[in-house]
Amino acid sequence: MFTPSSKYFVGLTGIALVSAILYMFLINPSDLGAIALFGVAASSALVAGFTLFTRDNDAFTDEEAVAAAAHAPGASIWPIVFALGAALVLTGMATVPVVFILGIGVLFGAGLEWTIQNWSQRASADTAFNSFARERAIGALEYPGLAAVGLAIIAYLFSRVFLALSKDAGTIFFIVVASVIFAIGFLIALKPAMRGKATVLVAVAGAVVLLVIGGIAALSGERHELAVASEEDHYSAEHRECEVEKSEHYDHHANNQVSLRSAVTATIFVEDGKLRAQAIGIKKDIDTITIPRSLGTTVMFRNLDETEHRLVVNLGSHTVAETGVKEKVGTCTQLTGKKQEQVLTLLIPKPATAEEPYFFEVPGIEGQIKLVVP
Amino acid sequence: MDTVNNVKSPRRRISTTLAGVTGLLFLAGCATNAPQDTWQAKGPNAQKISDLQWIVFPIAGVVGVLVLALAGYIMFKYRDTGQPIPTQGHGKPTAEIILTIVPALILTVVGVFTFRAIFDLAKTEDTEMIINVTGQQWWWEYDYPVQTELGINTPIISSGQLVMPVGTKVLLRETSRDVIHSYWIPALNGKKDAVPGRIHLLRLEADKPGIFAGQCTEFCGLSHANMRMEAVALSKEDFAKWVAGQQKAYTSPADGTLAKEGETVFLNQCVRCHQVNGLKKADGTPALAAPDENVYSGAAPNLSHLMSRNTFAGAMFDLLRKNCRSDVWDATSEEFGAKYLAGVSESCLNQTDLRAWLRNAPAMKPMYADPTKLTKTGGKYRGMPNLGLTEDDIDKLVAYLLTLK
Amino acid sequence: MAIIERPSSEVTTPAVVAPSQALGAIRRPVASKGWREWLFTVDHKKIGIMYGVVAMVFFIVGGVEALLIRLQLALPDGRILSADQYNQMFTMHATTMIFLFAMPMAGAFANYFLPLQIGARDVAFPRLNALSLWLLVIGGIVLNASWFLGGAADGGWFMYAPNSGPVFSPSNGVDFWVLGLQIAGIASLIGSINLIVTVLNMRAPGMTLMKMPVFTWMILVVQFLLVFSLPVITVALVLLMFQRSYGATFFDVSQGADPLLWQHLFWIFGHPEVYVLILPGFGIISEVLPTFSRKPLFGYPFVVFSGASIGLVGFGVWAHHMFAAGLGPVSVAVFSISTMAIAIPTGVKIFNWLLTMWGGKIWYTTAMKFAIGLVVLFTIGGLSGVTHSVAPSDTQQTDTYYIVAHFHYVLFGGMVFGLFSGFYYWWPKVFGKLLNEKLGSWNFWFMVIGMNLTFGPMHILGLQGQPRRMYVWTEARAGEGLFNFGFWNMVSSIGSFVLSIGILFFLINVVITARNGKQAPADPWDARTLEWLATSPPKEHNFDRIPVVHHLDEFFHRKYEEDANTHTMRQIATGEDLIRAEEAAADSDIHLPGPSYWPLVLAIGVGVLGLGVVYGTPVMVFGAAVVLLASFGWVLEPSVPEAIDYASPDGDGHSKEIATHG
Repeated sequence: MFTPSSKYFVGLTGIALVSAILYMFLINPSDLGAIALFGVAASSALVAGFTLFTRDNDAFTDEEAVAAAAHAPGASIWPIVFALGAALVLTGMATVPVVFILGIGVLFGAGLEWTIQNWSQRASADTAFNSFARERAIGALEYPGLAAVGLAIIAYLFSRVFLALSKDAGTIFFIVVASVIFAIGFLIALKPAMRGKATVLVAVAGAVVLLVIGGIAALSGERHELAVASEEDHYSAEHRECEVEKSEHYDHHANNQVSLRSAVTATIFVEDGKLRAQAIGIKKDIDTITIPRSLGTTVMFRNLDETEHRLVVNLGSHTVAETGVKEKVGTCTQLTGKKQEQVLTLLIPKPATAEEPYFFEVPGIEGQIKLVVP
Repeated sequence: MDTVNNVKSPRRRISTTLAGVTGLLFLAGCATNAPQDTWQAKGPNAQKISDLQWIVFPIAGVVGVLVLALAGYIMFKYRDTGQPIPTQGHGKPTAEIILTIVPALILTVVGVFTFRAIFDLAKTEDTEMIINVTGQQWWWEYDYPVQTELGINTPIISSGQLVMPVGTKVLLRETSRDVIHSYWIPALNGKKDAVPGRIHLLRLEADKPGIFAGQCTEFCGLSHANMRMEAVALSKEDFAKWVAGQQKAYTSPADGTLAKEGETVFLNQCVRCHQVNGLKKADGTPALAAPDENVYSGAAPNLSHLMSRNTFAGAMFDLLRKNCRSDVWDATSEEFGAKYLAGVSESCLNQTDLRAWLRNAPAMKPMYADPTKLTKTGGKYRGMPNLGLTEDDIDKLVAYLLTLK
Repeated sequence: MAIIERPSSEVTTPAVVAPSQALGAIRRPVASKGWREWLFTVDHKKIGIMYGVVAMVFFIVGGVEALLIRLQLALPDGRILSADQYNQMFTMHATTMIFLFAMPMAGAFANYFLPLQIGARDVAFPRLNALSLWLLVIGGIVLNASWFLGGAADGGWFMYAPNSGPVFSPSNGVDFWVLGLQIAGIASLIGSINLIVTVLNMRAPGMTLMKMPVFTWMILVVQFLLVFSLPVITVALVLLMFQRSYGATFFDVSQGADPLLWQHLFWIFGHPEVYVLILPGFGIISEVLPTFSRKPLFGYPFVVFSGASIGLVGFGVWAHHMFAAGLGPVSVAVFSISTMAIAIPTGVKIFNWLLTMWGGKIWYTTAMKFAIGLVVLFTIGGLSGVTHSVAPSDTQQTDTYYIVAHFHYVLFGGMVFGLFSGFYYWWPKVFGKLLNEKLGSWNFWFMVIGMNLTFGPMHILGLQGQPRRMYVWTEARAGEGLFNFGFWNMVSSIGSFVLSIGILFFLINVVITARNGKQAPADPWDARTLEWLATSPPKEHNFDRIPVVHHLDEFFHRKYEEDANTHTMRQIATGEDLIRAEEAAADSDIHLPGPSYWPLVLAIGVGVLGLGVVYGTPVMVFGAAVVLLASFGWVLEPSVPEAIDYASPDGDGHSKEIATHG
């Protein structure tokens, strides 16, 4: 059963496996070295399997018979793909790493396919059998691989489309696409005769449309506010400082977020130039908001005035250890336009001291809302 | 036909099961005074639920008895007494339709009542008082926001026992500092989960003064079983007294007493996590606890006015001795207020449990407080650790804690 | 999948070596005796038996966990288990019973009897069938290995976030739980697709869907439930895995997560799962009740469609597990009403079972007793379920022992009694021997009394206010008088031991029957469905000739004929006559798939891959390599072992050929 070259690869598998395990125990259990050795073991086991499967190719190539019946080898796409891979690797070296990695992938895939194709074309004199043998040998890798790449492309293109469209347009797009897919599926189900070619046609058409739209979207970049947000570094902590003028691109209606529906402890309003507050569960206005210690608590700011306002919370001050300078502690919302809401989530570990009470204020508006942490 | 022998056996099983089950349900009512009995409503919210249960349970019971009686009849009537093999009929659609419609009608009736009760219980417009309830592994914190009309001019913070006035529509705003807990005082209302990051509302109202038991009912980890609560309803006058007591300024024990030495021990050991409002350090600056630096969930019970409560350690232990405790629990609704407001005196203090707790807290209540096993929390405790106090220190501390009225 | 056509000698050029011979280099194992016969088998019957054995082992494991829980709770402030151990115990009790006992045991019945009931020779994809068995075994091992590797999962089977996060559950228990369930989930998903394809494609000629036995119907519904619900829990488990092992923050509130996300994901799976557990039991007794009442099932289409509608509505009621979770009154009201609605098809089933017995000639065998036990106990469980659908009432009962009582009446009374009914009914079919009826009677009575003693008092405990999942209960909350927590907890604990004696009787019965049981006659129960047309135990190829179906209850109608005048039933043949007739007309060449190594190897690879999440990347890489190699082995494997001579499919085309590459 064991052919000469399979013996070699089985042996190699064993050695690699033993050294991988030794490496794990002696050197480092989660090191790249162990992974590499396991990789060697896995790939030599695979090759061992192939050589076993093909009996070192001997069983097929009774050379005279093959020669007698040999067809000229068919056309092959793999040399040119291989060359493309090489080009990508070189381009990648000069430009961005992504291209380099892509090139390595192409080189590897094309090399594998080429090898298998070459082998299978000489497997026997029977071309039908040869293509069958190729299918058996590489199918287990080819189908899952192609499926994964295909899914990745679809997911990527979809994400590009959604990042490029505005929020509302994205919703509509999604609904339209889903309905079209549903309708076509329904039609195909109704007319069984259509199934064969029509399904293929629809799938191909869908793929082409997705490629085109996705490609355009990818090239045109993310929608304006996302681009601005990432340019202005909206996602970093510095961006929360109250002195920095904010851009106009933020979530104008925080109230619409599902997760905030049951999370807001109190709402602070600016209305007719006055400041007032309401707490959850009670209808009348309050002048003090009580927040439990060390508990992330969300307060909403709702501007009902004509002009833009911002809610500022003052949380006393702290002394910087190195310099001894006192710094104000606090945070604020973005500038909030008319009929818009913003939220602040506060986590306050200690009560205020008598000298420096905590309070909310809105610059330009009279009054304060006291903030008490018991 | 080649078959095994027909095994005959008594068929009284159904009737015994039936009698058993109905009998058991009847006996359920016989258990007296289970503190968490779900059928003994002591307030309008629980009463609404109870009224609904008095519709649903009898209907379910009657339907059950009828179905089981039918089953028993069939089992007896059609047992194999040598009758021929019956005709192979495949059913009667009319019977099917009737047997579909009848349960549907019954359920519609139940559904209407249910629907009304759901929206009734969710009402909050007429709230008269608000209490913030915050769950944490494994105790509840209650804080009373400033509500001047109730005499609450500075926020009150407490734990272990929720104190509220009778005949007042109290709204609990529940949330949690760590995992999901669930607040449940069966005599006053059904349960509502306290979910971190969310605020859930639960309405409580008690008819008469008294103390009502409850238990955290959402599995919340190691000491879930020990996370209890007690709701205390006081008459409006007594409640005003309680509020005044809670807002009383801190008085340091007299110099030279054991309690004064206890204050020093407290300042050295306990104040790292436990706040006592008004307590000052030796240099005269306020002693601010920093539980956020030592406890993973960020808080530890505030011990100001500890001795006005009857429990400690998440209501797992009583601060009162057994006889003093039953004195409060069994008091009539007229006497209850005075007895509760008396707080914990030295003679009534449950010294055994309190000392054992101070000696080695993790041995009394399962917690993640082993300093060697805190890698995942970045060194912070999840519960009170063993402080290694000497017996001397414990004597002093107990004397000090007794002054926190 | 195509079968490899071996080119016959006329076509091949003589000079060329016949290529097909080369493809035998990696051989399929040859059917042999001993352990290999079981380890590498792809026969649905052997796989079914192994499912049963595995499930039974886990039933005992889960049962021991339950007994420890009851011992701990028998007295106040129990000291048998620590808080940590208790939390692990109840988590693993539920997980084991649901995922490693109830689902696999239903899988055992489905695997064994579904092909037999539809007149097929195997399932559609025999090797995938073996794979799902081995994945289940590996999943079960991974789950339970945690006991010995630093502690089992301790978050409850519902594993609510954020309590399941790395900080709140610092041991590796939850990691093993997440991985074990994912692996077991793959097993169920593969199994369900396999069975759906089998039912839809491989029914005997003449068997329309509405002539299919009800058991097969219910199994079909269950497989659809699994196909639609398992992806949801898989998503949740993957999120949790990434949170615990790779620092994701899906359920981390401080990062803005909403912990209710987990609850929704879990219960969108979890509620259909309840029907996944109960419907096979319904299916089994829908076979047993007609057989022993000597009448067809009353209202067959209604039973079938109520089963299907339970399955469908079951996807729309998940939030009734969350009435106390703070969803808001509108959601609560909607789910309250939809939950009530699901009681209607369930009621239809109960009435149809009762009316099946009405006018019958009832024969009280052990199987029948268990079936009636199911009807009675499930009715009680169903009615207590209706009291929960009333949301305000549920806010008092949820998370108390009332719920524990309810779902044990439904699952133990419903599912387990159904399975035991199935054991007694089909044991002679599977093993050719009858289980002892006398021991069976003991088994039944101990179980029914023990079950009511254990779970009956829990109704009262719950209404008296004892919450679930507490490692101790305290006298301070027990109430006064004789009938307080103490009394009922003690009754319940005693009951649990009575119950386990009942189960012990079953195990004794199995051993005694295996040693010197009575040889079963061919048709011991005067049964009604196709599986009894095969010999007991069935031959490897099930049917000598693929039956042609004309009736619902085909087997019965081959035995009996209605007298046109008196409308009474007249026997025209015995079961033995029919089986002999089949043997006489056996198909000449029957093709069966050969055994295979690869399902087992692949399953082990998946297990190692999973352990890599806990033990580091190299382990994962090793597991991935095994998976990859096993996939190649699977694909490269020849269609038949060399020892089996290839035979072409039947010329007359009345048999469906079994795929060899499934």
